[in-house]
Amino acid sequence: MRSAVPKHITAIGVFAMVLWITACGGSSTTATAADKGPIQVWTMEDSASFTALMQNFTAQTGIPVQVEAVPWANVNDKLTTAVASGNGPDVMQIGLSLLPSFESAGALMDLSQYVSGHPALQSSNYLGAVASDKINPSGKVLSVPWVSDVRILFYRTDILNAVGISSPPSTWSQFHDDAAILAQRGKGKYGYYIPQWDSALPVEFTWEAGGNVMQNGKVTFDTPQFKAAADFYISFYKDKLVPTASDFDQTQGFISGSAPMVISGPYLAASIKSAAPQLDGKWNVAVLPRDQTSTSLFAGSNMGIWSKSKHVEASLRLLDYLAQTNAQLSWYKAANELPTAKSALADSTLTSDPMVKVYTSQLQDAQLLPLVPKWDKISQALLDSLNSIVLKGADETSTLSTLNATVSSLQT
Amino acid sequence: MTVTAAHHEATRRGLAFPATWRRSALVPYVLISPALLCLVTFSVLSIFVAAAVSLTNLDISGLADYSQVRFIGLHNYQTLFGDPAFWEALGNTAFFVAVGVPTLVIGSLAIAIALNYSRSRFFRALRAFYFVPAITAIVAISLIWGNLYNSQFGLLNWLLSLVGAGPVEWLTDPTIAKFSVALVAIWRGSGLDIIIFLAALQAIPPEYYEAAAVDGAGEWQKIFRITVPLMRFAIFFVTVTTLINWMQFFDEPYVLTQGGPVHATTSMSLYIYQQGFRYNEFGFASASSIVLFAIIAAVTILQLRARQADNA
Repeated sequence: MRSAVPKHITAIGVFAMVLWITACGGSSTTATAADKGPIQVWTMEDSASFTALMQNFTAQTGIPVQVEAVPWANVNDKLTTAVASGNGPDVMQIGLSLLPSFESAGALMDLSQYVSGHPALQSSNYLGAVASDKINPSGKVLSVPWVSDVRILFYRTDILNAVGISSPPSTWSQFHDDAAILAQRGKGKYGYYIPQWDSALPVEFTWEAGGNVMQNGKVTFDTPQFKAAADFYISFYKDKLVPTASDFDQTQGFISGSAPMVISGPYLAASIKSAAPQLDGKWNVAVLPRDQTSTSLFAGSNMGIWSKSKHVEASLRLLDYLAQTNAQLSWYKAANELPTAKSALADSTLTSDPMVKVYTSQLQDAQLLPLVPKWDKISQALLDSLNSIVLKGADETSTLSTLNATVSSLQT
Repeated sequence: MTVTAAHHEATRRGLAFPATWRRSALVPYVLISPALLCLVTFSVLSIFVAAAVSLTNLDISGLADYSQVRFIGLHNYQTLFGDPAFWEALGNTAFFVAVGVPTLVIGSLAIAIALNYSRSRFFRALRAFYFVPAITAIVAISLIWGNLYNSQFGLLNWLLSLVGAGPVEWLTDPTIAKFSVALVAIWRGSGLDIIIFLAALQAIPPEYYEAAAVDGAGEWQKIFRITVPLMRFAIFFVTVTTLINWMQFFDEPYVLTQGGPVHATTSMSLYIYQQGFRYNEFGFASASSIVLFAIIAAVTILQLRARQADNA
């Protein structure tokens, strides 16, 4: 702790050296005819459920699978060390937000020559938002969809009814008006909650305003639709309809009724059910309020094969297995994560639940965030600009024009 | 003891080097070589590696394919000095140093002097009590303080509400958050400084105080005329190490606020971490760390100079 040599510089230097040393010990690839694995899988899920799913796969194919659960927070470290050392797993789960990093790191194998031999992996089997040309650079198949996740509106039916709102807001102006009515309930009560770390929200608003943040392969916020989205975002703060505290807890706020409307993913439903079973029947979900459209964010994960994997054939069989309706449905039952295969989404297991019906209909109108490597930095600049307007009172026009300049300089 | 006698003594214990070795000028270097080797490998060499990397565009795609790494001269430094977030991080670090270092050094010294008044069981228990924060894991500290500070259900705001005061945005107001984060670091850092001061205090011969008492000196006079001057070296050491620690301030903002709200608690080290390990821009992060290294080295050399001038 008390060393005279600064630890930050040592950390980066040692890191670079370790990467260099480990990179020297590369290994050669050999392909085998009847590939029986064993294959190693990195998953960002709870490994017990995934291991259970893998037991079925092993029983069917005779290919043993080792599962390693990588916590979300460590994914980037794992990736950089794997890339530098050349030692990775065979199959890995990739969160959609991390896809550009994995691709630019050359971590993913191009599967385009193999896909034709695996009908379950055809692009047409998946939801439109994750069609092959949307998730891959042109002409390549670097990953295939695995699970989906979508943002919807959560609202407290009891609280909305108590202030005389009988149905959830379906347009932007209703959304803002309802939030204003709910915020009048008193001190510490709000209409809605905007997570200050959520860079997807202003992008969703831009889509809803009929715009897009990608133009000619570059990210841009210099559009009238983004301006409309930013104005809408800022209006909730200006009219004091949302909490300003950055440590406001979304789940707690929804359960206590402090923020009776929030936009979140199906995982919030699971947290509410486990944290507050007494609220059962007092809340519901709806598709997002529309301006021009009610487009939401499509999140979720893909599966890909490590570029230096020695078990390509066995790994492809695993991807094929995971894409099939049965595996997609058993994973939904085990982990409550929505399928990406259209056949699984149409299954009665999902269509019989009214809440899941909302998720699946929102999935039809959902888009991916821009899949460009600079998105992390760009989205941070976006959040910083919006937050400095709403929290520090910065001037909107000048802050947004600085943002546009930053975004274009990041992409030169 | 003569040289020969010493040699015999050492030979008898089986500790001696051959006589020719012993006289060789190499011996001291052989003896310090293990420590030196570690220092060179893990500190000096890595500084040079970072300096070299800082002149390249190394990022994650360069890591996968070395042919993509290009020498870009001082471009990273130009970008760095043109980045307002860098200057904000530098300003925040200066703020943390200005608030944290004097508070810690003076506060720890005062607590150490107070704790040194008695050797009773109660005071010994108090010493252990003050040391607890220093040995508590930062993750536990952040969980506990995060919950104390929380604006929705935090204990501090609940206590304030009991006396009728309004809620304070401990971690969510850009200005207050700086102080909240610094407070946790002061609380955590005090334990170690107090221990160092206590050790120095106990090395002061009691005769000085007895003589001063005979001459009729009061308690304050004893502290300012005897204790503080005799502890100059301990104070210097604690100041240098505390200053270096605070210039590399990282743990508390990383776990409590992740540098927010809107960069208000992003220190230089946290800025470097985000560039290097979040955005994977290793070249740029190396350039930032070289700049921070230069600042810390300059400040430390200045302090050592001041100390020498003081001694002369």
